[in-house]
Amino acid sequence: MTVERARERALVQIALLTVAFAVLVAVSIASVYWLAKAREDSAWVAHTLEVENQISLAQLQMRRAESAERGFLLTRQPEFTTDYEEAAAQIMPLLTLLRSLVQDNASQSAAIAEIIALTESRLDQFRRVMTLASQSKQDEANAIIRGGAGRETMNKIRDLAAEMRQEEHRLFLLRTAAADRSQSLASIVTTTGSGLVLVLAGVSIFLVRRSARARDDAEAQLRDNNVNLETTVDERTADLREANEEIQRFAYIVSHDLRSPLVNIMGFTSELEELRTDIFRRIATLSRAASPQALDASLDDQGQPLLDEADRQLSQDFTEALAFIKSSIAKMDRLISAILNLTREGRREFQPVPIDTRELIENIVSTMAHQAAEAAAEIRIEPLPEIVSDRLALEQIFSNLIDNALKYLKPGVPGDITVRGRQRLGFAIFEIADNGRGIDPKDHQRIFDLFRRAGTQDKPGQGIGLAHVRALVRRLGGTMSVASELGKGSTFTITLPTKWTATKPETRA
Amino acid sequence: MSNPVTIIMIEDDEGHARLIERNIRRSGVNNEIIPFTNGTAALDYLFGADGSGLDHKGRALLILLDLNLPDTSGIDILRRVKDNDHLKCTPVVVLTTTDDAHEIKRCYELGCNVYITKPVNYESFANAIRQLGLFFSVIQVPQANA
Repeated sequence: MTVERARERALVQIALLTVAFAVLVAVSIASVYWLAKAREDSAWVAHTLEVENQISLAQLQMRRAESAERGFLLTRQPEFTTDYEEAAAQIMPLLTLLRSLVQDNASQSAAIAEIIALTESRLDQFRRVMTLASQSKQDEANAIIRGGAGRETMNKIRDLAAEMRQEEHRLFLLRTAAADRSQSLASIVTTTGSGLVLVLAGVSIFLVRRSARARDDAEAQLRDNNVNLETTVDERTADLREANEEIQRFAYIVSHDLRSPLVNIMGFTSELEELRTDIFRRIATLSRAASPQALDASLDDQGQPLLDEADRQLSQDFTEALAFIKSSIAKMDRLISAILNLTREGRREFQPVPIDTRELIENIVSTMAHQAAEAAAEIRIEPLPEIVSDRLALEQIFSNLIDNALKYLKPGVPGDITVRGRQRLGFAIFEIADNGRGIDPKDHQRIFDLFRRAGTQDKPGQGIGLAHVRALVRRLGGTMSVASELGKGSTFTITLPTKWTATKPETRA
Repeated sequence: MSNPVTIIMIEDDEGHARLIERNIRRSGVNNEIIPFTNGTAALDYLFGADGSGLDHKGRALLILLDLNLPDTSGIDILRRVKDNDHLKCTPVVVLTTTDDAHEIKRCYELGCNVYITKPVNYESFANAIRQLGLFFSVIQVPQANA
């Protein structure tokens, strides 16, 4: 799958989870809200019922007071007085409570105010009747009752109470309906929300499982790729190693076989040189025989026969030609020897051993003390990391580099050569820095090539040292580079694995 | 040399052969030198038609051997000479360009008597061959036994 698709999928997943979370929150809030609403509505329903109850209680007490009054008038028994007083005492508190209960409703408040006023006047009548009755003014009391004012008041109160009850009943119906609606809404919200959450959770689980499966597949593929890669790398490495060995063998054979003809060239050139003496002696003799006026046969300082001008020129040219041939042969021999040594070095098996790098470099420096003194150079060694590597190879690497540093100092400037080292991520990094004449940046690659040199060619050398050093560093699993500018010194940096293990699985063919 | 020792020179490079012969002569050695430029011809001569080496019974031989031959390896010739009952006492001088330590060791292990590296420097080369000539003039060579 592509990266974009994977990212898209991840985004969708995150969006889904976010939506699910939002829904969950919304559902929770809605449920809480609707539940609270339902509870409130129920409270209102209860309130309505209580109001109705209070109205009934107040009416009941009124009836009780009236009947007690009638009973007292008829029987004059004092128990009725007590009954009456008990009932009359309860009426007003009940009505006051009722007023406070219905004060949220304007019409009910007005009704209750009227009821209270009527009740007060009615209670006043009761009191008057009771007082007259207790003073035995039976007729006056009967007259008041017969007057019908009491009944009228009672009827009014009853009507008002009925109205109030009706009103409360209406409210009761409304509030019950509201409470029902709230409750059913709350349950609907909760149910749908839960359903939605369940659905989203299902989708999420599906997505998570799908992405987990995709990840597992990717991991498996990665593992396969890794294995393939390793195999490929191994194959390539084997190929490269084979190619390298082929080159080594080739170089070895070529340089070896070049030597045979060189022996002949050198040999017969030397033979020619021997012959030269004889040839020119004969020329001298012959030319003398041809010209009798010439001087008698005499020899020069070196015991060579004296020649005339033209012949002497010939002899010199001959000698010069032979000298060029011989010096070229000598040079070729040195180059061939160098290649042979390089290939021989390439065939040497490396042995990884723990090396105290500082001690190793101190040894090299001490063997070069004479050269250093001649060049008026100081070699400083800073603390160096210890590594596991091939001792001889390291010796060759460092002695070549320090030797180069000493060799290419700026004339007239005291040399200052520093060997530094540090460790990083399993690699040891060494730096050999000098204040010598430096290397032109355009030559930085060249100097590592075999037989190539840079700068003024005023020092002896074949152009092998750095090529050799780089070959060694590479064989030790490292890299090397140079930083330098003309006239500003050079710094050679070598990076070697801290723990090099000879990773040469099979022996050379 | 007191005995009429025959020097068998196996050298593929005719120039080398000529230089070697010249310098041996210069050291005053006048023995017969039979040159071969390839291994097959040399082996044919040494072991005869039947390959037993009986042909040279009673003769004193000295073999001058180059290791790099076009057809067979010098090492192979050395091994066969040292394995042969009639020829194994014959001194073998390996004269070659190889100065590889392995090669030298191997030759001595196989029974080579002297190993000389041909120097490219002609002075050294001529000198080495003349020394060898002087050596030839003093050493005793056994006759090939029956």
